[in-house]
Amino acid sequence: MIRYAVFGFNPMSVEAINRLDCNCVIVVDQAPECLKQAEENGLATAPIDFRSDEDLKSIGIGKDIKTLFCFFPDDSDNVFLTLSARAIDPELHIVSIVDDPDAENKLLAAGANKVINPYQICGRKIYEWIKKPDITNIVDHTVFGRQDLHIAEVEIPEKSPLEGMLISELQLSTRYNLVLIGVVDKEINDELHFAVGERDHRLDADDILVILGPSRAIRLFRKDVTHVGKN
Amino acid sequence: MLARFLIYIAYLLKNAARYQRCKRFFYDLLENPKSKLKSRFDIFMIVLVIASVSSLVYEVEHDEGVWSLYLENVVVSVFIAEYLLRMWIYSDSHQLIIDYYEHCEYLSIRFRIMTALKKVIAKKLAYMVTPFAIIDLLAILPSYRPLRILRVFLIFRLFKILRYSQSLKMFADIIKSKRFELQTLLIFLGFLVFIASIAIYLFENRSEGGTVDDLYDALYWSVVTISTVGYGDITPLTTGGRAVTMVLILTSLGILAFFTSIIVSAFNDQINGLRISRTFAELENHSGLIIICGFGRVGQQLAALLVADRQKVVIFDISEQRVEEAKQEGYLSLVANATQNDMLEKAGIKQNVSTIIGATGNDVINVYITLTCRHLNKDVQIISRANRHENVAKLYQAGADTVIEPFIVSGLLAAEYIGQPVAFEAIIGILHGQKNIVLEAVKVKAGSLLEKKSISEVDFHKQRLSLVGVISQNAKHLKRKNRYVIKQQHFYFNPPMDFKLQADDILVLLGRATSISHFRDQIEQSHLLG
Repeated sequence: MIRYAVFGFNPMSVEAINRLDCNCVIVVDQAPECLKQAEENGLATAPIDFRSDEDLKSIGIGKDIKTLFCFFPDDSDNVFLTLSARAIDPELHIVSIVDDPDAENKLLAAGANKVINPYQICGRKIYEWIKKPDITNIVDHTVFGRQDLHIAEVEIPEKSPLEGMLISELQLSTRYNLVLIGVVDKEINDELHFAVGERDHRLDADDILVILGPSRAIRLFRKDVTHVGKN
Repeated sequence: MLARFLIYIAYLLKNAARYQRCKRFFYDLLENPKSKLKSRFDIFMIVLVIASVSSLVYEVEHDEGVWSLYLENVVVSVFIAEYLLRMWIYSDSHQLIIDYYEHCEYLSIRFRIMTALKKVIAKKLAYMVTPFAIIDLLAILPSYRPLRILRVFLIFRLFKILRYSQSLKMFADIIKSKRFELQTLLIFLGFLVFIASIAIYLFENRSEGGTVDDLYDALYWSVVTISTVGYGDITPLTTGGRAVTMVLILTSLGILAFFTSIIVSAFNDQINGLRISRTFAELENHSGLIIICGFGRVGQQLAALLVADRQKVVIFDISEQRVEEAKQEGYLSLVANATQNDMLEKAGIKQNVSTIIGATGNDVINVYITLTCRHLNKDVQIISRANRHENVAKLYQAGADTVIEPFIVSGLLAAEYIGQPVAFEAIIGILHGQKNIVLEAVKVKAGSLLEKKSISEVDFHKQRLSLVGVISQNAKHLKRKNRYVIKQQHFYFNPPMDFKLQADDILVLLGRATSISHFRDQIEQSHLLG
């Protein structure tokens, strides 16, 4: 089943697709040679025109596709695509890149969930390398790299065993080999509350825990959080 | 015998450390444009010159006091000392003698003491005829009693100020650069003055009914008229005289315009070079400089971040328009090609540059910048941007420490965002320092309170910190699990309670910025005490 649609085939989309690591991606590009390249890489492609709503629906937008990547080089194309897709499916996750920083607001207004500015990111990255080489090195190679260390968010469901617990009682590092970065309490605001040293927080349903750790530990923890609602 | 003694003295001086040090000191004091000593000495001399000239002006109407006599003596002795010292450091006489001696030895000809001394004196004379040396001399001479008549030359002391002021020197240099044009103008002007003087003398002399008595009057009149000053004390009365005047006035307007344009264009030609040399002069005073090559969107972004962090940044770009933009933003910037050795050297790549960033959108240029910089300085940190994935290896090969691929990083982030937007925003926010929580590296210093402690002994929770992991190269930790190999280092994620910290391990801590800096201070203190 196709779950991700990637519009625009270029180094950026290749990296994103690699990272998604599943066979549920469809690539759309206006240039036939790009599509051919994508096919050679073993990706599913669709020779459709992104300007037509019918064509968009034909590949599954509004139905199966949950996430849309707009990787076109032109901001205008990305805005148009975002606008059309948003009209078809209000629930769709739309991630777009932006070329001109001024277009960022236009994309957000058109309905994109996340706008990525490659130049800004590159500038920041270089800055981080100058400022905090050790940290950047670690984070780039683990969280953003190929090593098995990931960040994850775990939402606490109703009747989870964690409900009513204090953050200080979780002991994630010893019990699960995880480091708790923070908690987002949706009832207060979307801000991340730091886990250590702050006022102790009593967890309730719909809180989101942000954790860091190897994927096995994350899976285990996620299972425990959701699982015991039944007992 | 005398010759051998001379050579002996020369070698002695060459090897005398104290003599060399002494000479070096005076060089720094008087000539070395980079030394701080010189700038202080210059100020002192300017004050001295002004004081001596002021006392001179005072004496015109008042009696010579005792104090002004003292002042005069002090000033003159300082001037004489300065003159002699400058002459001394102008050339190395012992070196000249040694060179000549070795030359003689090599060709096996006889060492002639007179020739050697001639060489030395010739060099010193060469100094004495430089314009500045002449000014110096003229500033001293009038104080010698029998030469009291030369008092007017005391005004030359004011010219001495030229020597001590960089900007006045620059002005003189600019004028010098237009020597040819000014010479042409001067010849033409002389010609005009000559013709006008003769003409006015012929038309306006007393016998013709005019007011011009002699050729000197005529010369005076023409200079006053040409300069458009026109006092009017001598005015033409005859028709011929008036005709000459009219022609002269019109011509002199042209000459003035020509003169002005020469000066203006000289400044225009030089101002860019002046600005660049000023920028370089400013750079010399800083260490830990960061050079950003290419002021495109990445460069702009980066410069803004670094400047907000109070880092000293210089921007190189080959496009004048971009450099202009950078200047408007208030950055130090130069229209410069970062692949030119001399530009990089002037910016201090060998001394005060810590990091070079190749941020252009062209990989060929980035590789070339990297290669050039690495060649000039083995230790400088080089971070480069790679726009195409296949060039990453080339950049590393050229000597880059870190290569960043904007498009790859963006694609990666886009994918990372999917499914866990909250966690993503959290980690990005922490990394970018947008939240009040930061992720920081803290080094375990040898002898500090952390060394040889186990994790359970360091109460991170009490410090309001959370330990994410430890970076270490220490072989003692190798058996631990949760080990991630990163380049030459190992990262131990979530180390267990019995993990013993070793010197030079790096703690990766999560916490509020204040907690971390407090923690760091504690380590620093214990390190100093222990």
